Amino acid sequence: MTQVGTSPAAVLSDAARLGTKMLTGGRLLHEMRDADVQIATTPKDLVWSQDKVSLFHFRPLAEKRVNVPVLICYGLIGRWTMTDLQEDRSLVRNLLNLGLDLYVVDWGNPSRADRYQTLADYILGYLGGCVAEIMKRAGVPKVNLLGVCEGGVFTTAYAALEPERVNTLTLTITPIDFHADTVEDRLGHGFINIWTRSLSPEDVDRLIDANGNLPGEFMGAIFNQMSPMRSLLKYNFDLLEIADDEQRLMNWLRMEKWIADRPDHPGEAAKQWMKDLYQQNKLVQNQWELDGRRVDLGNIRMPVLNVYANDDHIIPPATSRALGPKLGTSDYTELALPGGHIGVFVGGRSQALFAPAVASFAQQHDLTVA
Amino acid sequence: MNPFDYSKAVTDFWTAQGQALMRAQEQAGAALAQGMKAATSGKFPMQPEMPGDLSAGATELANASKSVMELWSAAAAVCGKLATAVPTTAGGDEVVEATFRKIVDPRSWIGGTGELDDVLGRMAEGPRFADLWEAERRYAGVLQAWMNVRRRGLEHNAVVLQAWLQASRRFTEQLAGRSASDTKLDAKTALALWTETANRQLLESQRSEPFLQSQAAMIRATTALRMAQQELVEHFGKQYGFPTRTELDDVHRTVTELRRELRALRREQQMPALVAAQPASSQPLAASAESSASSAGSSGSSAAWSEPSTAPSASSAEPLAAPAAPSKPSARSPKPQPAASKQSSASAEPSRAARPARRPSANNRGTHT
Repeated sequence: MTQVGTSPAAVLSDAARLGTKMLTGGRLLHEMRDADVQIATTPKDLVWSQDKVSLFHFRPLAEKRVNVPVLICYGLIGRWTMTDLQEDRSLVRNLLNLGLDLYVVDWGNPSRADRYQTLADYILGYLGGCVAEIMKRAGVPKVNLLGVCEGGVFTTAYAALEPERVNTLTLTITPIDFHADTVEDRLGHGFINIWTRSLSPEDVDRLIDANGNLPGEFMGAIFNQMSPMRSLLKYNFDLLEIADDEQRLMNWLRMEKWIADRPDHPGEAAKQWMKDLYQQNKLVQNQWELDGRRVDLGNIRMPVLNVYANDDHIIPPATSRALGPKLGTSDYTELALPGGHIGVFVGGRSQALFAPAVASFAQQHDLTVA
Repeated sequence: MNPFDYSKAVTDFWTAQGQALMRAQEQAGAALAQGMKAATSGKFPMQPEMPGDLSAGATELANASKSVMELWSAAAAVCGKLATAVPTTAGGDEVVEATFRKIVDPRSWIGGTGELDDVLGRMAEGPRFADLWEAERRYAGVLQAWMNVRRRGLEHNAVVLQAWLQASRRFTEQLAGRSASDTKLDAKTALALWTETANRQLLESQRSEPFLQSQAAMIRATTALRMAQQELVEHFGKQYGFPTRTELDDVHRTVTELRRELRALRREQQMPALVAAQPASSQPLAASAESSASSAGSSGSSAAWSEPSTAPSASSAEPLAAPAAPSKPSARSPKPQPAASKQSSASAEPSRAARPARRPSANNRGTHT
């Protein structure tokens, strides 16, 4: 069997290094408290709420350079806090530093009592309420929308149904053609697309009916399946690798905190998400309906910036890039960022690219005020 | 411990454990089926209509157990081989070796990728069975659903184990290849190789029809069990005057519909104010953004707005990265990209498909949005 010979001195040295690492890591973990691990720390104010939904307005960090406010809209899977994970890896801070007037919608923690909330409730109801509130507060006739993942689908649908209220539409890692995972068919990419199609519509109905909502931990398990070996190494080998580096350990714990925050996805909305979109792919075919209104992507005539990640294993690039030909505008720009689904927000290289592109896009299409 | 002793101990242990587990599964299934058969034969009063033949379910459960047992034995044997493959010189990285031993342990193979099984199990195994004979039909329904969950779980585990075994075979072949070429391998390299090999095999397996079908069957089984349990609990709830899940759902549906109507009414009320805030005509840039925002009263703003300009403003920040040439559509792509779109690629690195396989990227943390 293949083996490596090592001198006694090297053995002692390795053992000492390992012992020091474990001791240091143990001390750090012992001294840390959950309260020490803070995410989404950029100062903000609650300016509107309805039911469990809250609209926050971030306090400015620089002189305002864009008149039309930007509303960040995350999906119901996960939470927007990913966009403000830590000070030096924060889309929110980067945008504020570039002079944007920034809002974010938080969907709260849906419980079983919310199982009958539909995507129309979230898009036309709550998101529409947020847009109206921002228009009123800022005295603007329309806002800039920045949708992320499922939230990108929300903003896309809203822009198609209420185009007169949307100044620009920026999408980030957003699926539009839910069957385009087959375009590249990369191993380990697009598993949710494949998995959802392996179920029948009746399976989805029963899954939701039995549980009321789509449990956050269930989706967490599906996501973990996409990186099978990580679950075996994450809390032993990976953790030990960084255990003695306080900064890296804190970064790791921040990510853990975000991952642990897995709200349940309201049941009826989850049925629509899985059946209408993942299974039947209605959005890209202009066949999706919300409250009896057809979502026609051709109605999106405002400028669109579509940001995707080259190595996104959850939302394969082709599923996002399918948007272009469907729009009713030629003012369409794609921005490919390095890294994966989460790397867009926390990756070192994307920090210098993502926020400047969004800010520049908003500035180029800004409105003048009297 | 001598590596060969270690591997033998692991093999023996897991073989014994596996056999005991499967025997227990078979016996439990058979005993439950016999018990229910006795119940339906008239030994208990007030026998309602019973579900289908439970003994048939027990047989299927036993068959599934047998399949998994055979795989389990193979897995245990492979585990022993893999354990000896770990570099064991005293100078090896003990943590890496310990990690390696742990992840070639068949228990972690089931448990590691069986997280969904665990979640589904917890979702299904809510209330405990109650020993109330008047609820026997529902009780038997729960029992039948439970046996089906166990059966589907075993069938899915068999598919998962197959993937691990295949990964083990690939890994062993790679090790043999390195030995033949006299390439030295330390523990860290062995761990990286195993991780890469197993990850690729598991990802391939997850896209296979057997995996997807067995997982879907497991989801169906667990949802059926949960529904059967809810029916049983609702039966008791009604008897004791407790509110049931169905009643609560009715209330929640009503509340949601009322909220919806309320939102629509509010929107109608707010609409005139928003319409009043629309500009009558465009005006040039005047006040600062802050002053315009603060001047916007609750009933709307006196600010007037022009239509968006497509030209960059004078204070425009950096432009987007230089447009790159549109990428050539894949031969398998049904949809060519639009000629009109502007493509701005900020990525200079080659796609992962063009690079050698490696451990999952830190960017792909199995997280989601």
